[in-house]
Amino acid sequence: MLEVRGLQVSYGAVRALEAVSLTAAPGGITAILGANGAGKSSLLRAISGVAPVAGGQILLDGRDITTLPAAARAKLGLAHAMEGRRLFRQLTVEDNLKLAWSFGARATPLPAAIAEIYGRFPILEQKARTMAGLLSGGQQQMVILSCTTIRSPRYLLLDEPSLGLAPIIVQQIYGFITEYAQRSGITVVIAEQMATLALRVSRHGFVLRRGRLVLEGDSRTLLEGGGESGALAASYL
Amino acid sequence: MDDFFFSLVLAGISVGSVYALVALGLNLTFWTTKTLNFGQGSLMMLCAMLTVFLSSQGVAMALAVLGSLLVIAALGMFIERWTVRPALRSGGSTMGWVVSTLGFGIFLQGMAAKYFGSQAVAFPEVIFTAQDYVTLFGQYVSLQYLVVLAVAVVLILLLELFVRKTVWGQAVHAVSLDPELALVQGMPVRRIILGSFMLSSVLAGVAGVLIAQIGGTVDPAFGFDLVLLGFVAAVLGGMGSSLGALAGGLVVGLISKLVGGYVSTAAEHGIAFALLMLMLAVRPQGLFGRPEVSKA
Repeated sequence: MLEVRGLQVSYGAVRALEAVSLTAAPGGITAILGANGAGKSSLLRAISGVAPVAGGQILLDGRDITTLPAAARAKLGLAHAMEGRRLFRQLTVEDNLKLAWSFGARATPLPAAIAEIYGRFPILEQKARTMAGLLSGGQQQMVILSCTTIRSPRYLLLDEPSLGLAPIIVQQIYGFITEYAQRSGITVVIAEQMATLALRVSRHGFVLRRGRLVLEGDSRTLLEGGGESGALAASYL
Repeated sequence: MDDFFFSLVLAGISVGSVYALVALGLNLTFWTTKTLNFGQGSLMMLCAMLTVFLSSQGVAMALAVLGSLLVIAALGMFIERWTVRPALRSGGSTMGWVVSTLGFGIFLQGMAAKYFGSQAVAFPEVIFTAQDYVTLFGQYVSLQYLVVLAVAVVLILLLELFVRKTVWGQAVHAVSLDPELALVQGMPVRRIILGSFMLSSVLAGVAGVLIAQIGGTVDPAFGFDLVLLGFVAAVLGGMGSSLGALAGGLVVGLISKLVGGYVSTAAEHGIAFALLMLMLAVRPQGLFGRPEVSKA
């Protein structure tokens, strides 16, 4: 179980997250929604240990990891696809995958793990020796997702997996995420601006606005009720 | 070809391999943090000085060298922790490390002058004596120079193998490309960076001992010129490239010796820096450097 209690994140004088508490239910997808600058990325970055936490607690399976270094959290099974399509651009696709696997849980032998990914995304096999920075946006997102899943994580944090991608690619990416979450049974947290997209695949949703939690609920309720009461839409304005 | 030309070529290759060794040491910290230890020369000097000191205290030569290298490795960690890391963290202008590493080097130089004296001291013979030589194309080639060349080539091959073939080599590369992503993927970024500074310092120490035995003496100012020319070699070859370090070192060594022989020895250093400027203007990434790849 992934739990955040009264979490505050500050960049100098700027407060990005103000006393946010939420729980990501195990074995399902949780959506974190909100407009640009709402604090979605700060939340995920604080959980994986690369944002300055000014207060509150982060609990992983009941264990307080708030002061644990990022690398140690990764060892506990956290995998994070950071915003801005972060991958090692000057390394080849295959080297990106190998590195991610090498410092992960290594639950599957490397050749099998790579074969599985190439089976899922055949284009990556063709581009195996290409520098990751030269791939198209969609292909890069495939590499990034593969780098997180090849680590056999127990918790998967995805930051705007749809950003800047063509609708058809977004569909493919989200298809993969849902299918992977179901098959592996791990806890997935998706931060997403495209609310309907994330709510359709998630079980529970949390809405952030200017660093505060303003709305939470069952995804279906949010999806349906959001339109009527306008609560969800209002949180974006 | 005449003997004079050959002797210049051999001298050029000899000093060139020394520059290559220094450039290699500079590359190591560049790999992980994109910083260079401009105090590298003082580490070369200190390692040689300590070796002289320890062996004068009756310590066996091999142990004296080993002990000095350990001290230098520890200093390398100190440099990362106290001169580079604070400078990188302070933000703003991120060139603070240039001053702090250079400053620490000057501090070490001052300490050496205080405790070992500012006079040149005789350096003991470690592997070969100055009288050992082989004959090549009718030229006497000192075995000491050949050792430096061999050490440089072997180290370059080892480092290239390490970077290309091992996971840790890839991790080092990854840390230089995106330290935060490396951290999130569970790589021990801190230890990799510390390790690169230790190894870089050890390389400087090895270079210092090898070069000191060629010159036969060492003094506190020793190493300063070598780092400047090693830097030129590193940039010429392509910052961060091991093969580039070798090529850059040899080019700088050869051209400066040829110019020194046929034009004037006073022009030796000048031509090296002219080469640097030319390279930066024509091909900034250096002979073996890779230009940045990116696509949004």
